[in-house]
Amino acid sequence: MFDILFYIFAALTVLTAILIPICRNPVNGAMFMIASFVGTACLFVLLEAYFLAILQIMVYAGAIIVLFLFIIMLLNVDKVKHLRPSIVAQVAALFALLILSLGVGSLFLSGAANPMPEISVDSTASMARNFGYLLFTKYMLPFQVSGFLLLVSMIGVILLSKKLPVTTTKVGEDA
Amino acid sequence: MAPQQTLLIILLAPLVSATLIALFGRKNGLLSASISVLSAGIQMVLTLSILFGNWSGDAITCSYEWLKLGALDVNLGFYLTPLAGLLLFVVTFVGFCIHVFSIGYSDDDEARGRFFGGLSIFMFSMTGIVLSANLFMIFIFWELVGFSSYMLIGHYLFKQSAANAAKKAFIVNRVGDFGFLVGIIWCFWHYGTTDLATLQSILVGSPMLATGTATAIALCLFCGVLGKSAQMPLHVWLPDAMEGPTPVSALIHAATMVAAGVYLLGRIWFVYTPDALNVVAFIGTITACYAAFCAFGVKDIKKILAYSTLSQLGYLVAAFALGTLYATQHGDHGLTGVGTAHFHLTTHAFFKALMFLGAGSVIHACHHEQDLFKMGGLLKRMPITSITFLVGVIAISGIPPFAGFYSKDAILYLAQQENSVIFYALTATAFLTALYMGRLFFVAFLGKARSEHVEHAKESSFVMWLPLVVLAVCSVLGGFEGFYPEALKHFLEANVLHPEGEAHHQMLIMSLCLGLGGLLVAFLIYMKPAKRGSDTLETKVPVVFNVLKGRLYFDEIYNYYVAKIQQRFAYVVSFLEQTFIQRLFVRGSGALTSVIGTMVRSVNNGNVQAYVFWFLIGLVLFWVFAIGGF
Amino acid sequence: MNVGLESYLIVSGILFSVGFFGVILRKNALVMLMCLELMLNASNLALVAFSRYNATPENNMMDGNTFVFFIITVAAAEVAVGLAIIVQLFRHSRTSMVDEFNTLKD
Repeated sequence: MFDILFYIFAALTVLTAILIPICRNPVNGAMFMIASFVGTACLFVLLEAYFLAILQIMVYAGAIIVLFLFIIMLLNVDKVKHLRPSIVAQVAALFALLILSLGVGSLFLSGAANPMPEISVDSTASMARNFGYLLFTKYMLPFQVSGFLLLVSMIGVILLSKKLPVTTTKVGEDA
Repeated sequence: MAPQQTLLIILLAPLVSATLIALFGRKNGLLSASISVLSAGIQMVLTLSILFGNWSGDAITCSYEWLKLGALDVNLGFYLTPLAGLLLFVVTFVGFCIHVFSIGYSDDDEARGRFFGGLSIFMFSMTGIVLSANLFMIFIFWELVGFSSYMLIGHYLFKQSAANAAKKAFIVNRVGDFGFLVGIIWCFWHYGTTDLATLQSILVGSPMLATGTATAIALCLFCGVLGKSAQMPLHVWLPDAMEGPTPVSALIHAATMVAAGVYLLGRIWFVYTPDALNVVAFIGTITACYAAFCAFGVKDIKKILAYSTLSQLGYLVAAFALGTLYATQHGDHGLTGVGTAHFHLTTHAFFKALMFLGAGSVIHACHHEQDLFKMGGLLKRMPITSITFLVGVIAISGIPPFAGFYSKDAILYLAQQENSVIFYALTATAFLTALYMGRLFFVAFLGKARSEHVEHAKESSFVMWLPLVVLAVCSVLGGFEGFYPEALKHFLEANVLHPEGEAHHQMLIMSLCLGLGGLLVAFLIYMKPAKRGSDTLETKVPVVFNVLKGRLYFDEIYNYYVAKIQQRFAYVVSFLEQTFIQRLFVRGSGALTSVIGTMVRSVNNGNVQAYVFWFLIGLVLFWVFAIGGF
Repeated sequence: MNVGLESYLIVSGILFSVGFFGVILRKNALVMLMCLELMLNASNLALVAFSRYNATPENNMMDGNTFVFFIITVAAAEVAVGLAIIVQLFRHSRTSMVDEFNTLKD
């Protein structure tokens, strides 16, 4: 039963992910991305990381993609007529494909992860509590630092999005 | 105060003086003069305090480790033996007298500060040579003395001849120093050390000295003496060095620096094998004879004195060689040669400095007139200078009881014992010495004045004639060993060979004949010239005079060699250097780096996606590394 | 259940590769940023898979999950700043095509 679910969710994730770089309209790309993230959240649920699944949907799909959509609308990005990567980019992509498939293949063939069945763990109901426990004891420092990081990025974004002061040029207005 | 500290102050006082003059005394001549004379005075007083103050004559040493590179140990230290004490006494005493004289001599010189600064640097360097404990340290101070000499010879900046002479002195010394350095390195390589005390204990009576290598090392070290003490064939710089001011000639080129070569021989006497000593003796004798002949062909008063110095230096070197040979044959007292040579060095310092200062006094009074045949009648006009100069002439002629007799006597006696040829040569040279000194004295001081400036000459000031008188007294008394303090007295008594008994009478009579005879013949020849103001030899026998004036054309040969042969070789080497080293290696390696740089830089093409690709490549490399693929 | 750890890792690998190709092959800065997020997501998946498969009955290994928590935080901050930069670039040169921004080349 869980196998079938795994294959369905995996297919959803991968297929919509493949469509993201291919699409011509960035808004479509953002929609596909939401679908991919939902698929990932489902996979998290299968892996019994329920808290993270919710977190994924709330933060990633809910906030980040929305931000993307805002900027796409703001910049008024057009549909691309034809996708034309340059020759160099194609060659590079082929080379990367080779390497990555080598990597994935070696992973598959090395048998590093025996197909052993999942080990069931106790106290899955208190998953959030375990999470919180770890967060406030062992990973206290990264927790505080990430809070600080969010503050810094917020300040950065505010500064970066200020409008540049309008400079008056002596030689008429240029585009 | 411990003697080592006293020695340190003696060494450093002139350095401090030179620094103060360089900082404050450039414009203020009187200040520089006082600082310099004060430092020379401090040196002299402290030296006398060591020598007269219960010093038993044992060596005073102290050593400070400076460089240690593997097996090579270069220390800085003092090594005060009676020999060093003797020379320290000479250097500081004569140096002080000359400093006092210079106050008067340089009163019309604009660059007085620079002059006294140079004198102070020289005193520092010379004291360093005297006190050094090992060959490396001697070499350092050797070069410093060469630099001081260069600075002082070229003191009159606006005379081209002075600049040329300074350059010549430095370059010729450099040639000698090259051999010296090779000798030092070879000595270290072969014997394992350059420390003088250690070398002495290793080498005295050792069978190591019987090899050809030992002779070669000794001759290489002798190259330094060839340069600094102006032996043949590197003697060409000394007459030209008279371009410097007269006190400089007195101090450096008569009494002390040129004697540094002989002092070096004295410090390393145990390195010399009998074969090397024979070579040294012949070189010394040849120099002595050659210089005595050349003195007849020159008319400048300082040049005559320069050739006289050259001749006496030949005597010193020959004395050292003969004495050491004598000692090895008679099995005792290896220091005989050392002692005899340094005894003559001391007396020579006194009377030669005296004569140079006398000449300086004359030159100063005659407004820088230096031609002998324009002077005359100075006896009446400058009595003190003339009398003291006469004392010097008598001393150098070897007439008893003046100092020169005792020391020259010892040398001639040694020569008689060792080698007849050298003995006859040196005796003939002694006669010629008296002859040319007589020529100088009679023409310059007797007769009538022959030029305007000389007519108006008058006696020099107190600061100038006082050192003359002091040095004259030393020239008279310096032959008696009682004159010297305790430690030096023992050294001289033990090591100077005086003839005994019948030989004593023989030598006495011979010296009297040579000395008085020489002066008499000079009087006869030169007092009644054919034409007033001319050299009799020149007018009567011009052939001989011209041969002597040519001085065997050493300068011309060297000039030809440098201009034609060495210069061409230098061009070839320069061409090779330009082509290979400059173009191929220097610019080539630069070009190679530049090409590689351009290739590497082409990765930065501004395309973000390319950068991402390179990230992947880097990631792959990390992955392979993590697996352990390297 | 015989879905092993390597299945999850293969999915993660494929997601990562797709994201990578997207970065290399697309010229629009916004699409590149989206593909970048895809790569981060792939690594999240791998981490959670490891975290689950290495747990033992005694020790519930939550470290991987915690790490994912932080990755999500950082990804959010990074997207915000990245988008602000793209907006500024757009204001400067009226385009968001990456190959127009090549003034830093040698």
